[in-house]
Amino acid sequence: MGYKKYSDDEEENDDVEEEAEDVDDEEEEVEEEDEEEEEERSRKRKYKGSQFIDDVAEEDDDEDEEEEAPRKRRHRRASAFIDDEVAVASDDEEEEIEGEDDFIQDEGVEMIEEEDRGRKHHRSMLPEDDQQENVEDLEKFIQQRYGRHEYEEFEEAETTDVEQQALLPSVKDPKLWMVKCLPGHEREASICLMQKFMDMDMQGKPLLIKSAIALDHLKGYLYVESEKEAYVREAIRGMRMISQREVKLVPIKEMTDVLSVEKKSVDIDQDTWVRVKNGVYKGDLAKVVDVDHVRQRATIKLIPRVDLQVLALKMNEGLQKGGKDADMKNKPRPAPRFINKQELQDLKISVDTKRDPNHAGEYFEFFGGMQFKDGYLYKGVSLKSIDSNGVVPSFDELQKFQKPTDEGGTDSMGLPTALASKRRGQFVKGDAVIVVQGDLKNLMGYVEKVDEDDVYVRPKDKELKGSTLAFKDRQLCKFFKTGDHVKVVAGTHEGATGMIVRVDLGSVVILSDTTKEDLKVFTANIVESSEVTSGLNKLGDYELHDLVLLDQSTVGVIVRVEKDSCQVLKGTPDRAEVLTVKLRDMRKKLFDRNTNAQDRDSNVISLKDIVRVVEGPFKGREGPVEHINRGILFIHDRHHLENGGFLCVRGMWCVALGGSRNRLDRGGRQAHNNNFNGGFQAPMNYLQSPRRSPHPFHQGPGGHGGSTFGGRQMGRRRDHGLVGTTAKIRTGPFKGYRGRVVDATDHDVRIELESQMKVVTVRRDQLSDAVGSQYHNGGGASYRESPRYGAGSETPLHPSRTPMHPAFMTPMRDPSATPIHDGMRTPMRDRAWNPHTAMNTPLRDSSWDDANPSTWGNSGTPQYQPGTPGGRQYEAPTPGGRGWANTPTGSFSEAGTPSESSGPSYGIPASPYLIGTPGGPPMTPGVASYLPSTPGGQPMTPGTGGLDPTSPALGMGGLEIENKWGLPEIVVTVRKAGEEAQVGVIQEAMPDGTCRIALGSSGEGDMIIATHAELELVVPKKTDRIKIVSGELRRSTGKLIGIDGADGIVKMDDTLDIKILDMSSLGKMAAN
Amino acid sequence: MFFHIYLERNMQLHPRHFGPHLRDKLISKLIQDVEGTCSGRHGFVVAVTAVETIGQGLIRDGTGYVTFPMKYQCVVFRPFKGEILESVVTMVNKMGFFAEAGPVQIFVSNHLIPDDMVFQSGDVPSYETSDGSVRIQKDSEVRLKIVGTRVDATEIFCIGTIKDDFLGLIGNPGGGA
Repeated sequence: MGYKKYSDDEEENDDVEEEAEDVDDEEEEVEEEDEEEEEERSRKRKYKGSQFIDDVAEEDDDEDEEEEAPRKRRHRRASAFIDDEVAVASDDEEEEIEGEDDFIQDEGVEMIEEEDRGRKHHRSMLPEDDQQENVEDLEKFIQQRYGRHEYEEFEEAETTDVEQQALLPSVKDPKLWMVKCLPGHEREASICLMQKFMDMDMQGKPLLIKSAIALDHLKGYLYVESEKEAYVREAIRGMRMISQREVKLVPIKEMTDVLSVEKKSVDIDQDTWVRVKNGVYKGDLAKVVDVDHVRQRATIKLIPRVDLQVLALKMNEGLQKGGKDADMKNKPRPAPRFINKQELQDLKISVDTKRDPNHAGEYFEFFGGMQFKDGYLYKGVSLKSIDSNGVVPSFDELQKFQKPTDEGGTDSMGLPTALASKRRGQFVKGDAVIVVQGDLKNLMGYVEKVDEDDVYVRPKDKELKGSTLAFKDRQLCKFFKTGDHVKVVAGTHEGATGMIVRVDLGSVVILSDTTKEDLKVFTANIVESSEVTSGLNKLGDYELHDLVLLDQSTVGVIVRVEKDSCQVLKGTPDRAEVLTVKLRDMRKKLFDRNTNAQDRDSNVISLKDIVRVVEGPFKGREGPVEHINRGILFIHDRHHLENGGFLCVRGMWCVALGGSRNRLDRGGRQAHNNNFNGGFQAPMNYLQSPRRSPHPFHQGPGGHGGSTFGGRQMGRRRDHGLVGTTAKIRTGPFKGYRGRVVDATDHDVRIELESQMKVVTVRRDQLSDAVGSQYHNGGGASYRESPRYGAGSETPLHPSRTPMHPAFMTPMRDPSATPIHDGMRTPMRDRAWNPHTAMNTPLRDSSWDDANPSTWGNSGTPQYQPGTPGGRQYEAPTPGGRGWANTPTGSFSEAGTPSESSGPSYGIPASPYLIGTPGGPPMTPGVASYLPSTPGGQPMTPGTGGLDPTSPALGMGGLEIENKWGLPEIVVTVRKAGEEAQVGVIQEAMPDGTCRIALGSSGEGDMIIATHAELELVVPKKTDRIKIVSGELRRSTGKLIGIDGADGIVKMDDTLDIKILDMSSLGKMAAN
Repeated sequence: MFFHIYLERNMQLHPRHFGPHLRDKLISKLIQDVEGTCSGRHGFVVAVTAVETIGQGLIRDGTGYVTFPMKYQCVVFRPFKGEILESVVTMVNKMGFFAEAGPVQIFVSNHLIPDDMVFQSGDVPSYETSDGSVRIQKDSEVRLKIVGTRVDATEIFCIGTIKDDFLGLIGNPGGGA
């Protein structure tokens, strides 16, 4: 071991010498060594690596020592060397030290010789007394030289990152300056500089520059290395070909780039894909047919961009006039198209068909000075005019390049292989591959090992088992079967996963997991994977499903993200239009969190509201609103397969599900209602109204400000009444501007200025009187309903009630009022169990209004809703619906008030908070009679309303307390103590809490009497008919159309509404 | 494919259910919990057929819930690659059609529909042969072969083909083939 080391070192010496003599030789030497003693060498490299790192650290100190005691340093190095080695082979220590000594002496001598040889010229230029330098000086000099050589040797021997880092220029190093010189004279200038350097040196006024470099590829510039700019200026002074003015510093970071040599591009070979660099075909994909490396030319195959019409014209004219194609340059470039023989004939272009001896004597068509075959243009070009570096044709390009007529011809073969040859490392161990080229074509196997050139494949074939064959990667193609689950690892669809539905040679069609769309990808770009991803969902600042601005007037939703572009569903409601948009084409992301639109019934639609499309091409679709822009909604329908499930519709084509109630046209309706209701309803409305007044328009699902109470107002609240109107700004920086109000709160208004494409926020009091005053003469009192508020507070019925105090509890007590609210209540809200919230949104009282006439008129009809004069359809629940997003804190404060006040004032035993109370009314026989007509919900006052039994939790509570849920026709399980459980149907619920039950699942058996404690509801199944046993919907019947955990989705019989109710409140009805 | 297998599960039961109906409650809860679920390993649990054992309950600290180890027998349905299934078409679009075989959703891409059948849009989108003799539309019954499955936590999604002998339409919604 030690010996080997030693001999290695000797070799190293040789290296050093030779290196000084001839760099090329030295390189060869290294290669030789590599072959000879690779192992030892690598070991040594490793060792030296560590040694080197130390050196780097000590470098500075060493340098100081170097001068005074170079020999010492050598020894130190040697001993350091040995120190490490001791552990390995201590026996050789002595020998090695000797060796090292010899080594140095030898080196010294050799170096002198070398110096003599190599630097004669230089020496002669040294000052006189230098020639008599004493031996010590010489040695010092040599040591310096040697030290550097050794250094270089180290560096040469290995290339670790650390070392590379250490070599990078730092602030301490001389800087690089770029000077301008006459183009074409770069070399000359640098030689001149060198000459000048020498001459000046001779004269004893050395130039203080270190080097000068002219780069072949950089025309008109020269680099000079020096510590200071002044030195450079000094050096270039008076040189004609160098511009005296411009001396630019090259930043340290870029210094390496100046001298780094770009790797030679991949050799252009037959069948490689290239792109044309200039001319008509600039940027076009071409395929190399033939290469002549000597003459630096290639024949490439292109899709012709030939305008045959023009050509025909020119050819015919050309016969008479001779060419005048001055304007040819300005012509737009013709689209790429294959040449069609028929077309040629039609245009009477004469075609010569000749053999081309250059191309194996194949037949080509010649016309117009061009050469064609099979519709392709064959063109001889200089290798310089084509670019093969990093050309990865996209699928579309390849498909276009593929002539539609040749099915699976030779070219389709070239398709995957051409790609394969471009992409290194596409094969990974374990990949299933198939051979597509060569003698072993169609052989299948698995990749065993991949190295730089070859892929080692273990064939699947039994007879070849055990052997491993090496292939070039272009001979292989990954092998996939239909149904495989794969992941795309490159290309436009990078990141997507899916299942293969079709396999072609070189490409597959996969069905994306997320979008359920077909994607065409190259086999080279996919790997088998069980992972399911959504694919890319971010491009720049944009994310999937973002609303983006495309130009002034167009917006769209990103429905798919590809590698460098997005697919955007444009905001055109009449048809689904999808654009592929590059990142730079997207102006900006739009935030529409606070925007609203109106539906057909002028309900306000906000984000996440569920709407159903009732008109237009997407009629019947429904889903949550994802984006809103200028009355256009983007809806996400899970069942819609195209465009990622997104639909673009007009707001006016939709109806909001879940019963957001319109307030905007309430005035008229209200009046109507009031007429209907006579004196009774009026006060209630009025009493409610003060509290609601601040936000009559504010019924957004966001339910902002639900917590506000009475006159208290919060700036955040939305005022949709103003939205859409035109306003003028009175004062402030935007004084005089007019604009459309896009959003309004109590304090601020956001106005889209007419004169500038800009939305600004201004204070309300800055608006012109027309708008501003409306809101300034008394807070919310100036809303449309305002007169009624006044009336409300003056109502004779409750004269003493201040509006703040919930006199409006009253109606709840009134049985006739109860039904009104039912039905208005969306189950969602109840479920959300945010007891106190929903009520104070205007939804509540508008519903109240709507319902009024009918309830008043025929208050027992379950089906009152369709008959409601003002009746709108309040469709299915809004999951994530409205109203209940209110802040609980606020709600509490609110709900608290009614409970305090209502209790004392009316002497109601229980405050609305108590579970029993809200549930109470339906349970009492008297009130119960009203219940059929109450398809949901109860009173209208905020506090009580929130607390009413619609919330399942309360419903349950009521049930457990009362335990008298039994209703006729419900199927129950009877468990009498000591008996088997039996199924029966309730025939009659007695007032004493017992039930008469007919046994048997459809009630055909014996009659028994059981208490509620012995009964248990039979849990209904999907599609069962049900009867609701608790809650305000008690006694209503419906059909269970779905079960979601503990909730049942019920389609009510009477209203056909879809409701979500707690399963425990649903009793299965006997089939009959 | 259907399997009748034993599975085990720990059921947590609220103390309010303790009483004479404990066992029934447990079983009904088990059924409620497992029927219709899907696991990648076993597929869809179609029905619980029997409860083998209910072990000793263990009171959970802090909650009062009691955990019962239950062993039950159930019928599971797990689709496999290469399996032939009969299914009902639920949706037809230009990319192919979706069909359901019980709980399993199967997508048959248009690449996996015989080439002579082409998509006909219109009121009732369908795939039709040129002579109109075979027509696959919503609610048609189709025999297909599963070529790929993707197992998620909560569903198994399959890709099927009808591009093979004896596969394809077996019944139309109106009755008859």
